[in-house]
Formats: sequence, C-alpha cells, structure tokens
Amino acid sequence: MPLMPKRVKYRKSQRGKVKGKATRGNTVAFGEYGLQALEGGWLSAQAIEAGRITAAHMVRGEGRLYIRVFPHKPITSIPLETRMGKGKGEPEYWAAVIRPGMIIYEVAGLPESAARICLSRIAYKMPFRCRFVSRRPSI
Amino acid sequence: MAESMEMKSEPRSQIGSRAARKLRKAGKIPGVIYGHGQNTISLSVSADDLEHAIRHGIRVVDLSIGGEKQKALLRDVQWDYLGMDVLHVDFYRITEGERVVVEVPIELRGEAPGAHEGMLEQPLHQIEVECLATGIPESIRVNISQMQLGDVIHVRDLKLPEGVEAKTDPDAVVVQIVAKEVVEEEEAAASPAEPEIIGRAKAEEEQEGE
Repeated sequence: MPLMPKRVKYRKSQRGKVKGKATRGNTVAFGEYGLQALEGGWLSAQAIEAGRITAAHMVRGEGRLYIRVFPHKPITSIPLETRMGKGKGEPEYWAAVIRPGMIIYEVAGLPESAARICLSRIAYKMPFRCRFVSRRPSI
Repeated sequence: MAESMEMKSEPRSQIGSRAARKLRKAGKIPGVIYGHGQNTISLSVSADDLEHAIRHGIRVVDLSIGGEKQKALLRDVQWDYLGMDVLHVDFYRITEGERVVVEVPIELRGEAPGAHEGMLEQPLHQIEVECLATGIPESIRVNISQMQLGDVIHVRDLKLPEGVEAKTDPDAVVVQIVAKEVVEEEEAAASPAEPEIIGRAKAEEEQEGE
C-alpha cells in the first residue's frame, strides 16, 4: 500500500507551483549518505515505494534506509474521454512536493561503495535528476 | 587536537547580496567576526583557504584583518541549497585559555563482532563539548571492537580527552547494536483507500441526529 496521510482536512488541493530551493531537509541528518534531488517536482507515493523496494534488497539486514519525504499532496485527475467541466476530478494519487536540494532517502550502516550502488539504483526510479551526497563537515 | 592555520582577510565596506555575489565570483567568501563585546566587522576571506579549513577540520584560525592579527573560532558556515559551496562564514573572537562550546564529530574505530548478528546503529554523529578554544579535539574516537549484540554506548561512556566536557545529554545513545529488522509486508486490505476527512464524521453524525 503506497504512503498517504491518515487524516486530512480537505480531500483535494490546488496544484500550486514548486517555487524556490530547499531550505529545510537539504542535509543528511539520520544516516551517513543520502540521495539529493537536483530538480523540483512531484514525487508520487508509488515512486517512493518503488525506491524503498529497490533499496530493501541492498540494505536488508546490513543497514537502514530512511525515507525523508512524505506524500502529503492529493493529486486529482479527470477520467479519459470525459467532457470538460463538471468540477474538479477525483483524487488519483498522493505526492510529495520536492524542491531542488531536498534529501529524499538516506542510508546508514553501509560502506560507501554499497551505499553508492544502492542510492544510484533508487535514482533510476526518481522522476528527476538526483545525486549521491554524504554528511556535511561539522563546524 | 585540531590544528590551527593562518587566514588572510580583508575588511569589506560594501554589504548586501549584490556585493556578496560579486565577492563570491572573485573567489572570496563574505563573513563576519564578532564576540568579546567588540564591534562586529564584515570581512571577506579566500574561498580556497576556507575550504581547506573546513575539509581538514580546522576550527581555530589566526585571522589577519587588514594587518591586525586575531585568533578566531570558525563558528558557523552557511552553505548553498545543494551543500556544495560556502556562502558565508561567521568567526568568533577568542583569547588564550577561553573555553568554548563546539560540536565535534564522532569517529567509530574497529569492527564490532556483534554487527554480523545484528545491525550497527549510530544515532549520534557529533556531540557538543565544552573545551579550551585552543584544544578542540578533531574528533571523539569510539572503540567498537568489543561490541556484541545488544551493547549500547552512551555519551557518559565516552572517553573524552583531558579538559573536554560533554554537553550533550549523558544518556543519549552514541552507538548500539540492535537485532536485524524483520520486514513485514503490510496487508493491502488492512488500510483504507482514502484518508479520513477531519470534521466530516462529526458533521455527518450531527445530520443523522437531526
């Protein structure tokens, strides 16, 4: 079952725009390495789940995977071959709004080489360009 | 102990984002120095020098501001949204024998035998310590070569160098070996297809009551 909120105030939301860059959630916080989005967009709950399954094979037993994003936004669509009008479509799926710079996944307990392979495999499932990052030097 | 280095800086008169952007294009990083009740001075340092200091864990620098030398602590660094470039740096004036509170990274040493049976977790990657400004440890080394499944190392168990005092909660877990997670596949039927709408249930109940 893909991720979605348990309770919401409104069933549908306006589309909005992905404005600006990530000022929060742009550092590796829990693990040692992370996957950082280089572009903005919507990341569907299905894509998040696909990434988790891909990583699960790599980190099984050895390390831990952290998912740093959650699909809070309901995305609606109008069925095919429907005439325009008659109101907004029904919620189709849930998505996370991703700004450039956000860390989407983190891994802990894996050596760097394994973490690179793991996160690059997840990156194939993402709808935007991503890069591998490690922790920032502490000051 | 983290080493110290000399860093040249120039006072800057022009402030604001446009001037800062120009400086960065010229290979310099805008910054400030403050502390000890003296005036805050806006300055700029070489991007290469600062990068070297950050990458090598240097915390204390001998900053020359227009010919005048001043010992300063690298207190804060602002990064761009991708964490690739430094945008701004804060220096804090220090004197000999002054104690400061800084964050020091934790370095794990050895290979835990229990990690094969379980999973090595490190919830804390850096701890806050109070120490002499001139004696900031480069890292706190934690030997994990004796750790078995179920073993936990707390902040209070850390062997800190002389004169270094931990400020982080002593009961906080630094590293532990936990049992491997068993991933349970969720049943699709168990969770509803749509989330509950806040307030809808109440309204419906009220309507039914009427």
